Parts: sequence; C-alpha cells; structure tokens
Amino acid sequence: MEISFIDLSAGSVLLLFVIGFVGGLVSGFIGSGGAFVLTPAMMNLGVTAIMAVASNMAHKFPKALVGAMKRHKFGQVDIKLGVVLGISAEAGVLYGAGVQETIREVFGKAGSNLYVSSVFVVVLAIVGGYVLRDAYRMLHSQDPDQEGKTRLAQWVQSVHIPGTMMYFKSIDTRISILFTLPIGFATGMLAATIAVGGFIGVPALMYVLGVPGLVASATELVIAFVMGMGGTIKFAWAGFVDIRLAMIILAGSLFGVQLGAIGTTYVKPYMVKIVMGVIMLLALLSRAVVIPVYLSELNQIEPLAPSTIALLKNLSFGLLLFALAAGATIVLKALVKGMREHHAKLAGRNVSLPGTFSAPDAVRQLTPAGGMERVMLVTDGSEYSEAASHEAIRLARRCQAQLFAFSVLATPDYESPLGQGMHGLEKKATVDRLMEVRRWAEAAGVDCEILLGHGQDPYTEIVDQAEVSDMDLIVMGRRERGDLMRLMLGGTAAKVIGHAHCNVLVVPGGARIDGRGIVLPVDGSPNSEAAAATVVELVGRCAAPVTVVSVAVDERLLDDTRAEAERMRDRMARSGVEVRVEVRVGHPDEAILACVRERGADLVVMGSHGRTGLDRLLLGSVTERVIGRSECPVLVVRL
Amino acid sequence: MSAERKRATVRTLRYGAISLLLYILLYLFNVEILARSREGGWSFILPMAIAFLFSIVHGGFTGQFWELFGIRARTTKK
Repeated sequence: MEISFIDLSAGSVLLLFVIGFVGGLVSGFIGSGGAFVLTPAMMNLGVTAIMAVASNMAHKFPKALVGAMKRHKFGQVDIKLGVVLGISAEAGVLYGAGVQETIREVFGKAGSNLYVSSVFVVVLAIVGGYVLRDAYRMLHSQDPDQEGKTRLAQWVQSVHIPGTMMYFKSIDTRISILFTLPIGFATGMLAATIAVGGFIGVPALMYVLGVPGLVASATELVIAFVMGMGGTIKFAWAGFVDIRLAMIILAGSLFGVQLGAIGTTYVKPYMVKIVMGVIMLLALLSRAVVIPVYLSELNQIEPLAPSTIALLKNLSFGLLLFALAAGATIVLKALVKGMREHHAKLAGRNVSLPGTFSAPDAVRQLTPAGGMERVMLVTDGSEYSEAASHEAIRLARRCQAQLFAFSVLATPDYESPLGQGMHGLEKKATVDRLMEVRRWAEAAGVDCEILLGHGQDPYTEIVDQAEVSDMDLIVMGRRERGDLMRLMLGGTAAKVIGHAHCNVLVVPGGARIDGRGIVLPVDGSPNSEAAAATVVELVGRCAAPVTVVSVAVDERLLDDTRAEAERMRDRMARSGVEVRVEVRVGHPDEAILACVRERGADLVVMGSHGRTGLDRLLLGSVTERVIGRSECPVLVVRL
Repeated sequence: MSAERKRATVRTLRYGAISLLLYILLYLFNVEILARSREGGWSFILPMAIAFLFSIVHGGFTGQFWELFGIRARTTKK
C-alpha cells in the first residue's frame, strides 16, 4: 500500500498547533473531545483517515501514561484493573485496526473515510445526546451528583464463575474476568476506530463493574495507555504514523488541556455539559455532511458534481472550525469571568492572598524548636488520614495552636470522558471531608480553617502552602507500604519531608500519641540538636519519658556513639529533662524501631538532613525508612 | 513567591527549553524521521520513542506553564 505523508507548510503547522490548542482547551474543559475534533481536523487537512487515527493515537498514549502517573500520586488508580482491562482492550485495538486496514484495502480511501465518519456520527449522536440530557437534568435537579452502585453492577459482583474470579482493590471484591474482557475489547475496538475508547470504558467501569467514578476515570488512563501503545505499535509497524502531525498537535494540545481544565473549576457543572453536548453535535454535523461525498466516491449514490463535493467539504471544515471556535470562546470567557469574580470575592474579604490560609495576627518570633502555634493538617480524605486528623486536633488543643486543614486535588487535566464530572464529585467529597474534620475539631474546642487547593503534584502544594501560610508543623498520614509504583514515584510524605521548611509529623493509620514515651535518635549532627530542642519543648507541654538512642553501625564506633548519646543526655538534663540513654549496634533504622518497641514509646522525634533527589535515592534516608516502617507517629524536625 | 514555587518555576522553564530544543531537532530531521517511519517494521520504535520523549518533556513544561501567569485552579476556603 502506498503511504504518503502530507507536505507541511508553515501555515499548516500553525493551523495544526492552533487546532491542537483549541482541541486541547475544549478537551480539558469537557473532559474529552480531543480525538473527535483532532481526527476530523487532520482529515480536513488531507490526511487519510487511518493515518489521522494512527497519529492521534501516537500523541495520546504517552499523555495517558503521564496522566496515570499523576493520578496515581493522588491514589486514584487501580493498576491491576487497568492492566487487566488494557490487555483485553489491546485485543480490541488489534482487531479494530485490522478492520480498518481491511476496509482500506477493499474499499480504498473513501471506504475507510466513510467507515470512520459513520462511527463518529453514531457515537457522537449517542454520547452528545446523553450529555445534553444530563445537562438538562443537572439544571433541574437538587443533587444530581449522587453516586450509587447500579443494579447491574450489584449483579455482576454477585456472580461467581470458578476459575475466572479476580480480586480488584477499587471495588474490594472478586469479579469474573468474563465481564471485564468484553468491556476491554469494546473499548479497544472503538479506540482503534476513532481514537476515543473512553466513551465505552469509563461508563462501563462505573455502571457494569461498580467502580467508583473517580477511580474509573483515573483507571481508564491506564487502559488508554496500554491499548494506545499497542495500537500505535500496530499502526507504526505498518508505517502509518506521521509523528510530525502527532507532535505538533501535542504541542498545542497540552497547553490547551491545562487551561481548559483550570476553567472547569470556575464554572457550574451544567455549563460544562452544555458546551460538551453542543460541540459534539457540531462535530457530528461536520462529519455527517461529508458522508454523501464518500458514498459518491464509492458509487453507492449518484455521483456528486465537483462543485457540490467542494461545497460539502468546505461546509464540513467550516462547521468543525465553528465548533472549536465556539467552544474555545465559551471556555476562555468562563475562565476570565470566573477568575475575576473569585479574586474580587477574596479581595472583598481582605483576609489573605488567594489560595492561602489566613495570615498570622502578628510577626512571630522564631524558636529553636520550631514553634507549635500554627498546625497544618494535610488530609486526602482516605482512611490513612484519619489518625493524622485526630492527632492534629489533639495536638492543637494541647498546645493551644491554630489548626488549618488542607487538601490538594489534582488539577483536573485528565482527558477522559466524564472526567470533569468526576472532578466535581471528588471536590465535593473532599470538601465534605474537610468539613467533617472541622466538626471534629470544634467538638474538641479547636477552631479550624479549611482550604482545598489544586496542583500537579500534592507535595509541591503542601510545601508551598506551609511556607506561604507560615506554618510551624505539618501533620499528615502515611499510606500503605509495599507498593512498587509508589516506591518508584516517591511517597508524598517523603517528598514533603525532603522539601518542607517546617517540622512534619507523620502519623500511621490507627496510631495516637498518649505520652507513653518519646524516642530521640541522635547522631551528633545539628539535626539531632534541633530534634532534642523540640523534645524539650514537647515534654514541657506534655510529660513523657524520653529515651535517647544512638546507633553505631560498627562495634568499633561504639565508644564514640556512647559518648555522643551521653553528651546529649547531659545537655537535656541542663534543660530540665531527664532521659534514659540506649546505645545499640546495627542498622540505624532497625535499631531505632527496636528501641521504640521495647520502650513502648508512642512518638519518635528525629532530625532530617532534608535530602532530596538523587542524593536521597543513592544514600537513602534513615528518617524515611523509620517513617515507612514505624507503627507510631514520627516527628521530623527541620533545622 | 515561596522557595518551593520558585523551584517549580525553574523546573518548568528548564522543561520548556528542552522541549523547544526537541521541536527544533524534529524540524531539522523531519525528512529522515518520516523516511524511517514509512518503512514500518522495527522502525516503529522511532516514532514511539519520539512520542514518549516529547510528551514527558513537553508535559513537564505545560503542566505548570499557566501558573507562571497566575492562572491556577480555583481554591475552596471555608
């Protein structure tokens, strides 16, 4: 088969970039739509259908990987489910791509174009109609966002077929893979046809398998990556990928996606649905008007006059540009208006910078122990944060500190169908959770300000918020251990400890501080001094037996290690705190944890070098290992 | 601007510079790249590698690009 790539002039490069940007803008705003705009746009530029789909896929799958990794940082991806569905989706992609190639060989370019355009029209009619209906319901309903498990999902989860059952964390039950296989296959087949598979994947995950909406939309990114990569390999193996087109579109699209997604946070959800439905129906019309052209080329209808063909093609392109321009205008207008109103509202309150907690009443003195006046609880709404929430409240009450509860959501830039709606649900759930924390705090007599922020990476937002809001202490929970992906990415807690300028208290699930004992590991560094100063202050507020532990990695260092521990004991005694000294030999983290267990302590206070990046990766961090394995809270003190 | 935000800005600009360089290279070698792509077979690795590299680098750049202009998702405070 002859493969010819189109010539790219400066004008068409610019046009592709702008189409990519506007497509991305609309896509980021309505949660999907890149492909149903980008594939026809490429076709309008003269790219054959198969090459447009291939190139579109080539720009989508790495984006899905980046998106999945980002969502995983927020703990929303069921990797196992994504991979299982992705593999069956792969089969669907291969089959769908095979169908594409066969149609192209048998019926030629016009046949291939007709096939893709027809599927577009059908899918857009169904999804566009559904979205508009949804927008109408939202407009007239009090609480349309309520999620519930469908009866179908309940039935699917109740079916037991021996030999096919598999456990999935996101639904916390075993389901038969005989249900996941057709879903994956259909998703893949649609993806290979129009480069959008999520129209089937996300609703099926939610309504058929009973996966929570948020996890469904995040897990779909894993499916999109697995099948997108397979599909791209298949198309690229046949030589159909024009990587120039894919990368130019990617360049514009990534800018647009981000901006469109930010826009969603400033508008009402029904507005998003209306834009989505209107654009989908305009894109549908754009494809529908050229169907007679393809039918005429295939001699299925009376041949059309060249002028009619030109008119229909121009009309199609015009409709597409109109859909994009209308979408982009609405999105940009909504963004500017929303941001202006939001800033005006905050300025009216005159309390603090936008996106930060209220500032301290007066300039505060720095103390060697880091102070304990402003405590920032970081909660992600999971069960891992619950112990941290209670501990932060108790700490704030004991120290008469101000409590601030903070949550971070991913900036909603995932291009998956229903993604925006999912973000709305996530936001509502997170705000509800923050309000619950505030109720707990108020019940304990502690005032609590709450703030929900957005960002690309939770740790950056946490560290930044702690700094600009002048926090003394960050309190956060710890997620489960032993997750390979999380290990590779580096846990949020570890990154916060690496970068934060204030102290960080990491509280494992179920742990609490009752004053049974404090273990203070020392190594002679200034960090240990800072940790010791904090312990002195803590004991002043809440009496607890203190054990100073010093660990020698080698027997030969035992004397020096003992001397160090005794020096620390004497120094603390001068501050009025009597401590017990323990000197051990072995791996520092293991020895520290053994000491905690034997002493029955419920708090470890240790200094941190604040290593980050390669340094931390190569050297490791005793602090991090202790935090990862400790069953009691660990207070990490920064200089 | 906080130290962490400054670090994020530097990271964004660094990604931007690398992204620009990659696009210049794609422009300079586009004929050769297309010739290899057209061959199909094991040459599929070339467009795949380009797709991965560009999306990670360019994604790193655009991820926080709008923040440089103060355009951020709305925060909720109560």
